[in-house]
Amino acid sequence: MVRLANLLFAGVVCAVISMVIVTVTTSDRRAPSHSERAHPHSGLASATTGVLANPATFPIVIRKPAGPPQIKLAGTDPQGRSASVACATCHSVRPPNFDNQTAQSLDEFHQGLQFNHGQLSCYSCHNPENADELRLADGTAVEYADVMTLCTQCHSKQAESFAHGAHGGMNGFWDLSRGPQTKNNCIDCHDPHAPNYPKMIVDFKPRDRFLDLQRAEHDNHK
Amino acid sequence: MTTINERPEAGNRELPIVENFSRRAAVKGGFATLGAAAFVAAISPLRHAAQNTSAAEFLQKHYTELSDEQKADVIARLEAETKKNYGAEVTIGDDRPIPGTKFVYAINLSVCNGNGKCVEACHKENNHDRATHQSYIRIVEMPKGTLDMEQGSTTYTGVVPKDDKFYLPVQCQQCDEPPCVDVCPVKATWKEEDGIVVVDYNWCIGCRYCEAACPYHARRFNWKKPEVPADQVNPDQSYLSNRIRPVGVVEKCTYCLHRTRRGRLPACLEACPTGARVFGNILDEDSNIRWILDNKRVYILKEELGTKPAFFYYFD
Amino acid sequence: MSSISTPPTTDSTSHITSYPRFIGRSLWLATEGSFGFYAWMTMLTALFLVGANAWAHQVAGGMISTHMTDHVSWGLYIANFTFMVGLAAGGVMMVIPAYLYHDRKMHDVVIIGELLAVSAIVMCLMFVVADLGRPDRFWHLIPGLGKFNFPISMLTWDVIVLNGYLVLNLHICGYLLYMRFLGRQPNPVWYVPFVMLSIVWAISIHTVTAFLYCGLGGRPFWNTALLAPRFLASAFVSGPSFIIVTMVLMKKLTSVQGLEQPIATLTKIIRVTILINLLMVASELFTEFYTGGTHVSSAKYLFFGLHGKTALVPWTWTAIGLNITAACLFLWPGLLSPKFRLLLVAACLMAFVGTWIEKGMGLIIPGFIPSTLHEVVEYVPSMLEWKVSVGVWAFGLMVFTIAIKAALPTLRQPAQSTDT
Repeated sequence: MVRLANLLFAGVVCAVISMVIVTVTTSDRRAPSHSERAHPHSGLASATTGVLANPATFPIVIRKPAGPPQIKLAGTDPQGRSASVACATCHSVRPPNFDNQTAQSLDEFHQGLQFNHGQLSCYSCHNPENADELRLADGTAVEYADVMTLCTQCHSKQAESFAHGAHGGMNGFWDLSRGPQTKNNCIDCHDPHAPNYPKMIVDFKPRDRFLDLQRAEHDNHK
Repeated sequence: MTTINERPEAGNRELPIVENFSRRAAVKGGFATLGAAAFVAAISPLRHAAQNTSAAEFLQKHYTELSDEQKADVIARLEAETKKNYGAEVTIGDDRPIPGTKFVYAINLSVCNGNGKCVEACHKENNHDRATHQSYIRIVEMPKGTLDMEQGSTTYTGVVPKDDKFYLPVQCQQCDEPPCVDVCPVKATWKEEDGIVVVDYNWCIGCRYCEAACPYHARRFNWKKPEVPADQVNPDQSYLSNRIRPVGVVEKCTYCLHRTRRGRLPACLEACPTGARVFGNILDEDSNIRWILDNKRVYILKEELGTKPAFFYYFD
Repeated sequence: MSSISTPPTTDSTSHITSYPRFIGRSLWLATEGSFGFYAWMTMLTALFLVGANAWAHQVAGGMISTHMTDHVSWGLYIANFTFMVGLAAGGVMMVIPAYLYHDRKMHDVVIIGELLAVSAIVMCLMFVVADLGRPDRFWHLIPGLGKFNFPISMLTWDVIVLNGYLVLNLHICGYLLYMRFLGRQPNPVWYVPFVMLSIVWAISIHTVTAFLYCGLGGRPFWNTALLAPRFLASAFVSGPSFIIVTMVLMKKLTSVQGLEQPIATLTKIIRVTILINLLMVASELFTEFYTGGTHVSSAKYLFFGLHGKTALVPWTWTAIGLNITAACLFLWPGLLSPKFRLLLVAACLMAFVGTWIEKGMGLIIPGFIPSTLHEVVEYVPSMLEWKVSVGVWAFGLMVFTIAIKAALPTLRQPAQSTDT
């Protein structure tokens, strides 16, 4: 009887072992079939890799300001139309005032300008010779459209990050072989006169059914 | 299983042990019939549930075992169902990994201000249930000076960023050692070649073991049928990604594979107004993500658990 | 099924015909009884129907009707499931004395433990099904038919060991009762090896169930090597407690003899296991609280509440109170005296309820609180969850009652024929 019992035990053990073996082998057999399965699709995909190896076919587009800013006038004409003027409208006929170092001393046109950008003064960035242009620290004139060149003088860290997609955000395609990418310009997000990123208000929160507020409503579901 | 209930009384008609056998048998048979009828009445709500499940869906095979024709049939069926149940015309793609890619995400915590635009974008992009504002992303508001989430809060509101806080968005980390995949008893979730952990919503049995196993609160269960108005349904869908999920199954972030496998950026990245999010192919040496890994001091969440996330955080 | 008039002669009929007759006869006998018995069964049926109805609503409308959430994604069902696995494993505390220590008296009534295991496993499986979001896809779990993630997923191990344990016990009980029906002496070759296997298997079902939880690194409250031993210790409290209560009831309601000594043995077993269980709980808590840190949050929530949320605190302290009171009672030698039968029953019930809270709600729920992102979302079962759980319990008790009734003839001391 004992022998029989032992036999039974051995049987069970063998069954378990064979189960394990079968599982292992079937999973082994499945693994290659997986990759085989991937092949039909790789017809399309290998074409893609070919493209990937090539230089990117789509550009990274960095949004640019259209041109020099226009200043909107407060009043409207008798037809109710508002108007805006270019900087040069006034500044071409007025000599630059290098005494204006801070926003506080602006007492005519620009009064009330919020300025919070380090120790810079107006003509650190604006071109005193041409009001519709900007100026680099070395005196080189820069178009408004190329404002990023100006920012980069000081903010090289950010510029570097920007160049590598780690600053400023983007839209479109990560894979430039499939489509273009659009990136923001510095002044899309930062007001050059007060470049701190503005505070925001959270307007969308997961309203999970299970947070306490929701408990009552969710009970009504029944 | 429930049929066992009837057995004690069911098989008794010809048992002549007791004296007035036939009477007792009749009584027992009567009670058995009564019980069976009551049982059928009790589970009658199931008929309603059965109407929502077609035989084709019930018998559908696992995603990896479907032939191309079967896949086409399944997708056609799903598109028709969406039309019927949600009134929306959608196209459901079957996006496969692009060979030579492994998707990786990174977030700059110095820049993230917790505004929650990513949460909202995810909600809309992935056809989440509107009533619950469901989303794959949660943002933890953390006091500066600690990485201990115990001190964080996900229910913050109002103006952000607060001066003494930083913000930690958490979504699926697409781990290289995903505990959720290991625990699934039916292989309804698995890791694909490009690193995305996906769920076959038509295979998941809804045991929620993966929800218990995930250390990042990345998985969501469909406690009810998702409600999305027809005009808000995102028609650009994929089988393993943002198609409207059936009730009773688990879902998760797929790095928007219906976008990213077509070369586009994930919805949460595009929505981020601060540019804190970076996405890319880690196998591409010139990619943004590689530059970050090479030049920033990155860290991963809950490193001690050995899950090897494909999701990095860094401070400038 | 052919007619079943008398116990057949041993040689004439083949098993193919006699086995169904045996089942039929057992069921007939099992459904015979007093008014009290019918009242009891009717009540259980009614409760079961309530549960079945609630479950049908849950399946039809989605699990929104439970109070489980993405934060606390397992609730009352899995808590009960865990406890039930313990109850099933607890039955082995009769088997070990009977077969390993050759306790004759225990051997005579050991089938009670095995039948308890069967009923408890049935309840386990029902709780698992109740917890599934898609019970219609249950077939995905069947090896061969579906896709079985063996051996990586601990849940697949659990499916194997639970069903294996069910089959083992069904075989053992079925064989013994069948032999009795045939009027033959059971041949040890056909059941002793299985009994030995079932001892190991009983340990395995609870170990595997503990591994379900303690293998999850993201849940520090469960992630402890002590979980499996703790599960076993508490199983060996709850199982024997339930059996003692059953035996006391049987002594009152049936003419089964020879229950005194098994009751005493089981009482002595609980006397040890309940202390081991408390010791393990204590050492777990020491490690948690003395070390401190964030890993202690769940234990803090369980015992004192966290961020002002205290839903489980009264439960836990009730469990601790019940367990300690029961332990003191079990330590008192007088408890064995038939004079204090009621006190023994009370002690057993306290231990049973204490363990139920401690390893059901007290273990499963705090694993999820705080969540992995340290959000504190509380969980209190919904009415529907209670209904389904009560339904499953009622069904399990129904199975157990019928099984015990069917087994009464084998338990009864020298040829008595009175019925309940």
